[in-house]
Amino acid sequence: MKRRDFTMISAMLRLLYVYNAFVVMSLAIFMCITQRKIIQSMTARSFLENISAPPASSTEILLWSATSFIVLSSLGKFYRRAERKDIRNMLFASEIIVCMILMHSLNLVYDGVVLLVAADLMYRYEGNYREYILLAAMLGLYFMANYNLAIFQLKVIRFDEYLSYYNSSMQTCLAAVKNIFSSLNVVIFVFYMVMIVKNRHEEKERIRLLNEQLADANEKLRLYAIESEQMAEIRERNRLAREIHDTLGHALTGIAAGLDACTMLIDSAPEYAKQQLIRIRETARRGIVDVRRSIKKLRPDDLEKLSFKDAIMNMTTGFAASSGVDVSFTIVGLPKELREDQQEVLYRVMQESLTNAYRHGGASRVNISIGGGDGRLRIVIADNGRGCDDVKPGFGLRHMRERLELLHGTLNYWSDEGFIVEVEIPLNREVHDDKDTDS
Amino acid sequence: MIEKFRRLRLVWFVAIVLTVGLMVADYRANKVIELRLGLFAGSNWNVPQGETYIIIDEVIERFEAEHPNVRVKYVSGIKREDYSEWLAEQFLDDAEPDIFFVPAEDFNMYSSMGALMDLTRFLLLDGTFDPTDYYPAAYRYGLFEDKPYALPRESVLTFMFVNKSLLAREGIAMPSNDWTWTEFLDICRRVTRDTDGDGQLDQFGCYDYSWKQAVISNGLNLFREDGKASYFASARMEETVKFMMELRSIHRNYEVSPKDFDMGRVAFRPFSFAEYRTYKPYPWRIKKYTLFDWDCLKMPAGVSNGNTSTLDTLLVGMSARTNEPELAWSLLKALCYDKTTQEMILRKSQALPTRRDVVLSTEAQEIFQWNSTDNAAMTSTDISAAMDEAVMPPKFKGCADAMLYADSEITKIISGVISFSNALNRLQKEINARLQY
Repeated sequence: MKRRDFTMISAMLRLLYVYNAFVVMSLAIFMCITQRKIIQSMTARSFLENISAPPASSTEILLWSATSFIVLSSLGKFYRRAERKDIRNMLFASEIIVCMILMHSLNLVYDGVVLLVAADLMYRYEGNYREYILLAAMLGLYFMANYNLAIFQLKVIRFDEYLSYYNSSMQTCLAAVKNIFSSLNVVIFVFYMVMIVKNRHEEKERIRLLNEQLADANEKLRLYAIESEQMAEIRERNRLAREIHDTLGHALTGIAAGLDACTMLIDSAPEYAKQQLIRIRETARRGIVDVRRSIKKLRPDDLEKLSFKDAIMNMTTGFAASSGVDVSFTIVGLPKELREDQQEVLYRVMQESLTNAYRHGGASRVNISIGGGDGRLRIVIADNGRGCDDVKPGFGLRHMRERLELLHGTLNYWSDEGFIVEVEIPLNREVHDDKDTDS
Repeated sequence: MIEKFRRLRLVWFVAIVLTVGLMVADYRANKVIELRLGLFAGSNWNVPQGETYIIIDEVIERFEAEHPNVRVKYVSGIKREDYSEWLAEQFLDDAEPDIFFVPAEDFNMYSSMGALMDLTRFLLLDGTFDPTDYYPAAYRYGLFEDKPYALPRESVLTFMFVNKSLLAREGIAMPSNDWTWTEFLDICRRVTRDTDGDGQLDQFGCYDYSWKQAVISNGLNLFREDGKASYFASARMEETVKFMMELRSIHRNYEVSPKDFDMGRVAFRPFSFAEYRTYKPYPWRIKKYTLFDWDCLKMPAGVSNGNTSTLDTLLVGMSARTNEPELAWSLLKALCYDKTTQEMILRKSQALPTRRDVVLSTEAQEIFQWNSTDNAAMTSTDISAAMDEAVMPPKFKGCADAMLYADSEITKIISGVISFSNALNRLQKEINARLQY
């Protein structure tokens, strides 16, 4: 669609050039013939009496107008193709100068070539005051064309002075032909401009349509994301159910069955019951192992594979890449030994804070400082977003606090040139807690 | 490697530029430059002239000797009446000569359209040229809007032809060079009579004396310098018209014919200096006016002025499109300013040189003596004085049309067709209106 219009515009421009070449040559030839005829009819003296400048010879008129037209059209071609802006401006300036020379060599009889320059300029319309340049250039050229010779000190022979050689009916005829030349030129130019405007309009329409489609697709994608999130949740729930059924269910079932047997055996065969209880304990232990393994599967993949530091780096880099937020780290000290649950909570806290900073604060930069001392680890996540004077903790913040409280940690947040989240957890309970929670 | 290659290329480039430059310079130095000269055959002053190109050829010969690489060419055989059209055709074909004679009627046209070179810069730069060597009326004839566009080559004054035999027959003494309208009228009145008694006037005071000549003798410039206003209603014009009416009344409405003059029956007739030079000395004097003795006087002085007449001048100009302005200027000077050329004009043409020192030279004194037996009234001092006093004819655009209209109207006033009262005021209004276009 676009391609076709563009070739149409090029074709119109070519037509404009060809037409102007025809007019310029016709006028030059007309002047030459008239000058020849004047000389042949021995009326040169009375012709000179009426003109205001010494005329150029016939060959000179032809040569000058043909050469300057060829130069003008090749400059136009280069101008339309040039990529660099400074070269293009230079070419356009020279086009104006050559246009002036061409008009002068035709004794300013024909000003239609001005439209040729205008057409070239409009072909590469690029906004930025282009229209004012066009206006100034065209005004200047027309100003010159309209015999304002006092400014330019140019003297030329007017068209009617050439006409005065002919008889009155011929004069009317020739003047009409000249007017038709000019009018037809304007018609072609206007049509060319209409094509350009139409092309631009269609392009705009096309962009509008594409935008609409894009918005549509975005909406669909959003709905799909919500859907897939729900689906994942369901899938996860099902998996959990399966896991519970497979591991905990299996173990508990075994334990319940074993205990039933023990209840019957404990009196009759206490020794055997004892053995049975040992077996039940084994089953329970296996069940715990299975549950642990299940829980492990819920942990973030990165934490499973990488070190804590690398994992958070990975997470933030991914976040920065996807959201465009600039995330920086100030790591003063990071303890080597962090429990998996601590790692996970901290990981999730950072993830949630980054998400909040981007989603609610609209931040473009987030700084995460990690440090600590006295057996405590402290993480401060500060963003440059909008912040919030009166924070109403939502699910995220509440969830974060709950998780931290499980680790005996604290969560604080406030607004100050952005939103700041401060997290603190104790480190020294590592071994105890591990045993406590695990067994 | 690349650096070396670049340097080599630069050396080549410089070498080529130098060679081409030297070749061009050499070609220019050795090239034969052709200067073209535009001129007409014969005299500008309506008098027969024998060897048409003798002065020009000698000037060219001298010029070419001074400038060995220059050739001066001209088209010969163009008649004076065809010259204006020929020149215009050359201009229309962009083939005009570098230096050309400018007919008086064309000077304004060419200078206003910028076809003639403005000579100001040559005048300023050339220390050997001094415009004050020329008679002011001659030099100023080549000015357009106060800038020089052409140089005066030769001039012609108008004198009064006097039929000495007729005056002697009537017992009237030859008037002196400072005579006035009163004397003129008096003599006319005395000679106008019927000599053979047939009741018809057959001897007259003057022939061909026009109001235009009278206006100049009365010191009136009919037009403002810029040609936008006229002074037909001035007191001097009124004096002139009254004088012309009186002169006309003497002839009692008889229109004097050229035949009357040729037969020696007219006492006075305005006469150009060229005619005087042509018919006064030997070969031509036997062709015309052989029936009587004659001589020339300055024009009679009007009520308010001296014995002034017009100075017609032949101008030579340079094309504004010449390729060799410096050489063209030298040629122009050789044609118009060079003392040798001016002396040749004095010796070999019928016109007057435009340089004062040439007119006043001893050679001129000898030439104007004509022959010892004839007691010539005109000496070179008289002529020089007349040239100094002379005024140039108006030459602005549209001047010819205005004069044509004025002539027909004033002729009507003089002949009484239109009543004299207020007629000049109306004429001035009408002409001023025409000049505004």
